[in-house]
Amino acid sequence: MTLAVAPPGTDPSGTTLWRPLSRNDIDLLVRSLSHAYEVVGARERRGRVVLDRIDDPAELLLEYSPKVHSPKKFLFPNWEKLFRFRLGGKVLLESERAAVPRVIFGMHPCDLHAVQILDDCLFEGEADSAYRAKREATILIGVDCVPDEHCFCTSMGTDRSAGGFDLFFHRVAEGYLLQVGSERGEALLRRHAPQVASRPGEPPMPWQAKQTGTGLRFPFESLAPLLGEAYDHPIWKAVGEKCLGCGACTLMCPSCYCFNVEDRMDIDLEGGARVRTWDSCQFDQFTRVSGGSEFRANQADRQRHRFFRKYKYLWEKHQRTACVGCGRCSRECLARIAPTEVLNNLFEERALPALKSPGAEYHPQLADIVAVEDLTANEKIFRLRLDGPLDFSPGAFMAVSVFGLGEAPFTIASAPGSGAEIEIVVRAAGNLTRALHRLRAGDTVGVRGPFGSGFPLQEFQGKDLLLVAGGMGLITLRSLLHAILARRADFGRVTLLYGAKDVADILFRQELLRWHREGLLDCRFALRAENNGWGVLRGDVTKLFKDLEIVPARSVAAISGPAAMYRFTNPLLLRLGFSEESIYLNLERHMKCGLGKCGKCRINDICVCECGPIFPYSRVRHLKEAIER
Amino acid sequence: MKIAVQHLARIEGHAHLVVDTAAGELLECRLEIVESPRFFEPLLQGRHYSDVAPIIARICGVCSNSHTLVSLAASEAALGVRISTQTRRLRKLLAFGEILQSHLLQLYFMAVPDYLGVPSIFPLIQRQRELVSRALRLKKLANDICWAVGGRPVHPVTPCLGGFSALPAAAALQDLRRQLVAALPDLEQTVELFAGFEIPAFERPTEYLCLSGEPGYPVFGEAIISSDGICVRVDEYLEVIEEYCVPHSTAKFARASRDSYMVGPLARFRNAGKSLSPMARKVASALGLAANTSNPYLGLIARLVEVVHCAEESIHLIDDILLDGLRSEPLPTPNKGGYGVAAIEAPRGTLFHAYRYDANGCILNADCIIPTAQNLANIEADLRQLVPTRMHLEQDALTRELETLVRAYDPCISCSTHLLKVDFV
Amino acid sequence: MKRRIGFFDFTGCEGCQLTVLNLEDTLLDLLDLVEIVEFREVMSGSGGELDIAFVEGSICRPDEVERLQAIRARSKTLVALGACADTAGVNALSHFRDLQQLQRDVYGDHPTPAGRPRPLSAVVQVDCRVPGCPIDGQEFLSVLKALLMGKPPELPAYAVCVECKLAELPCTFDQGIVCLGPVTRAGCGAICLLGGDRCRGCRGMIDNPRAQPYDRILVEHGLSEADILREFRTFNMSGEKGQ
Repeated sequence: MTLAVAPPGTDPSGTTLWRPLSRNDIDLLVRSLSHAYEVVGARERRGRVVLDRIDDPAELLLEYSPKVHSPKKFLFPNWEKLFRFRLGGKVLLESERAAVPRVIFGMHPCDLHAVQILDDCLFEGEADSAYRAKREATILIGVDCVPDEHCFCTSMGTDRSAGGFDLFFHRVAEGYLLQVGSERGEALLRRHAPQVASRPGEPPMPWQAKQTGTGLRFPFESLAPLLGEAYDHPIWKAVGEKCLGCGACTLMCPSCYCFNVEDRMDIDLEGGARVRTWDSCQFDQFTRVSGGSEFRANQADRQRHRFFRKYKYLWEKHQRTACVGCGRCSRECLARIAPTEVLNNLFEERALPALKSPGAEYHPQLADIVAVEDLTANEKIFRLRLDGPLDFSPGAFMAVSVFGLGEAPFTIASAPGSGAEIEIVVRAAGNLTRALHRLRAGDTVGVRGPFGSGFPLQEFQGKDLLLVAGGMGLITLRSLLHAILARRADFGRVTLLYGAKDVADILFRQELLRWHREGLLDCRFALRAENNGWGVLRGDVTKLFKDLEIVPARSVAAISGPAAMYRFTNPLLLRLGFSEESIYLNLERHMKCGLGKCGKCRINDICVCECGPIFPYSRVRHLKEAIER
Repeated sequence: MKIAVQHLARIEGHAHLVVDTAAGELLECRLEIVESPRFFEPLLQGRHYSDVAPIIARICGVCSNSHTLVSLAASEAALGVRISTQTRRLRKLLAFGEILQSHLLQLYFMAVPDYLGVPSIFPLIQRQRELVSRALRLKKLANDICWAVGGRPVHPVTPCLGGFSALPAAAALQDLRRQLVAALPDLEQTVELFAGFEIPAFERPTEYLCLSGEPGYPVFGEAIISSDGICVRVDEYLEVIEEYCVPHSTAKFARASRDSYMVGPLARFRNAGKSLSPMARKVASALGLAANTSNPYLGLIARLVEVVHCAEESIHLIDDILLDGLRSEPLPTPNKGGYGVAAIEAPRGTLFHAYRYDANGCILNADCIIPTAQNLANIEADLRQLVPTRMHLEQDALTRELETLVRAYDPCISCSTHLLKVDFV
Repeated sequence: MKRRIGFFDFTGCEGCQLTVLNLEDTLLDLLDLVEIVEFREVMSGSGGELDIAFVEGSICRPDEVERLQAIRARSKTLVALGACADTAGVNALSHFRDLQQLQRDVYGDHPTPAGRPRPLSAVVQVDCRVPGCPIDGQEFLSVLKALLMGKPPELPAYAVCVECKLAELPCTFDQGIVCLGPVTRAGCGAICLLGGDRCRGCRGMIDNPRAQPYDRILVEHGLSEADILREFRTFNMSGEKGQ
């Protein structure tokens, strides 16, 4: 309704006029209106309050809780003829007559809000002209309500209405105070209740907060995000299992308007009408497609759809709550499904962070030892099966527990993408590792992880790789190698420089030799022992830096070995032309918690288990503790 | 000559007519009732009183209101429930609506074709459309009474123990009254139509039985009377009426003072014709219906007289109801058992229901005697006397006369095979 | 050429046929549209080949089986008219009792042929139905119209609750009275509820009754399992096993 320059219902100074009127005035108004309009309001029938034609003003009820149909009954009626047609030769379309002028008394604030929602939905796009015709022909007169235990308008912000009505009767002790909401309302008043129109205004009564029986325990603005995260929540199944599919909720809802369209023939089968009737997303066959399948086939899906539509989809579209908290759906529901209950439950579960039981992050999962093999005299390789597949980058580590002896970090020696099984290499050096060595296939250990960040494989793609391993450092690089070889074509030349003490200490010897023979990588060994019997270079790994054919510009170096090694290899690499960003170091410390809390793995200002153990040299160059001792 | 008419047309329910004569002598004459028994007593046993009337109504579509009303009356007698004047009047109005509806259906749809020589009323739509329209108008009015008072003409919804679960709106009753007054010209023309029919002549006196006790023409009644001098209370019915099995019939037959007796419009007219409404008496006189007639064919005319009576009485009854105003009345919740018998003059004759309830309000046993079951022996006796006098007719013509006789009784076969006395041990 | 229709009845009360005859306002228009060639209750004579046969009543005896099969053979479309034909309706309550004993109780030693009442579909192919006890006259008309237009008649898939809510009636459960509305097929306009009674389920259940939530509601209202069964066992006996 467009407002004139001086808003209706105000005096020349713009102050809202609150004109007093009595029940008797209202009866006279009803009587006068009945000559020109069909007057509709709440009345009693068979012990129930219904919204129907008022023939005698004494029947009109003005205090009642929303036990009745909403004004949707008249603005968007259940049975509406869209047009008539006749068959035989030409099909003629006969348009329907214009809408009956009507006055609806007793619109509660919630129902006034609901009409706004219907306006949003039915006027957008191609406006629904049948609805528009009724809307324009219907005078809306608001009245205060009497909330009951099902109402929750206060939670939805619909307990009062600033507009959307032509007239509003506010209840006061001595009768009512009339507020005009539109020009049309003012004109109506002047013509049909001139004695009221001419009364001077009184001060408005102070706003009384409404007491509703139930409500949301959180602001309604949270509804859309709350639901957004709850699509798969089990609560929908629980609601669906209670639901009878009777459709009472949607039929009585003042903002529901889904409908079906069908043709009804006259008895002579020569003419008929196309009509629309209320339908419901809760009914069978609502979503049936030809072929018979229904794509919302059970009550859980249907109830979820109803909630999402009211509290999320329409809110996101129109920035207006599509539910007005009138409580009709829960009042009419035989199965006692109440939206406040459902939404409050969802909110309560979500409001607290996904709280694990205290200390849960320290609880290992149990893993079975699938296989144990000797790698060398001192090292064994264990294959462990976890609960589910593990996602990690090569270089990450697991914390492995032998209960009673403790927990220790072990680099994952296998490649990612191996499902639920991982491999670790254990050197028997202390109590725990010796205890591990005593375990067999079928035994159980505890595992936590994966922890740490590994090699950024994405950045290695298309590049040549120079891997440098010293002693047990190969374990980390083995994981990287497996990952590379799984997508060999994504990478350039791969060169591995491996320094160990003796032949017997070379880890994964067969594997490396096989790859070398297959041309997958260029593998060079250096052994410190004399008479290594293998014919490889004697010396430490730095010796292998000669005769390298590297193009540093397109290469990346990954080094894994004892910290002392880095002091020598790093300068060599830099001299070869590698940039500091393209040299990746595996810096290990004694990681205990794996969560960046215990403090044991800190190097200067970084925490290895959190930021590493794989670092680009540029990142750790300044760590005087790490390398530059 | 053998006449065997299977599934007699234009009666309610299924019956075969079998007549066998040879050399001028009647060898065999029977009305075979072949309707399947549905054993309604077992359907009732153990049921709560709130279920009894709705179940028992399903015995018959045409007289469901009569069954409902007498069932409620029997339950009320057994459980010690009294009804108000308003309830009594509304039930009587509903009974009138049903009698009108049933009689008009029989007169126009089942009997008229015989007298106009057509197989049904439908061919008359071309040549005598007004006759058919009139039949439909009158029948609709009768059904509208049933809609307004009973909620639905077939298997009513609103009558319940002690009263009604919903009352008609005063405006609805006012409208019915207007329509009843407006129907008088249609009734006059109906009388004229039947005045022109040639009713076959045939006399066979028998015992005529009906209810009595209320002032006026009987609908409900406290006593059973008959032309042979029976006068007992309704709950003594078993002392005067005896049912017996017959091999060719799934319905039992009945006898009272003689081997057979008649109930229905003609019996009521004979016993209580003086209590008919003024217009009905005029019509009876104009149509030559004498108080001592024993021509069963004249059951047709008695039925028409009752139509006029019910229409006129309904107007007065509605006036009485509206003058006092309709008031919502609380319904009883009885808390004891007992035995009760009630009777009603259904369209086709006297209908008895007797129930025994336990203290929880559940049926222990039930008994009903149906009007048509009481007439079956009489129909056969009439046929046995009629056939020899009509032997000169062609088979077709004879068959037609015999069928017309059966139709004059307006038998309701579905009812008669269903409620048979069962004693549960 | 007007379509030829016929009405037939077996073991039942004939209330459904009567409901068709009670369509006084529409009967003449109907007779402009179709030709009724057989309708024993109001017509003599039989009809030969039929386009649509409306059949009321349950099937109890061998001769009824034969008669129904003969009707089926000469009808293009066969419609079950009313609960007795559709589901055996009230007749099925006799399934509770021993049939031999029943016969003896009622008829003594006189034998009389009678079998368990069965719906039409137990004997012949039934093409569609008009449910209810009795049928709703308007629903009969819309089924007839659909058949005449060559489209399969559609009955509502939703429950009587819908019609009750549209009529703004109080819910019987609020007064502690149990009602079969939530699982019974709509289409009657909630006529019994309008009359102040509860729904007794005469139209049969919807195709997809939500049995578990409904049972729970019944139990919440204090019904034992025996009570729940008895509620259903007026018109819906045929839904039970073992018959």
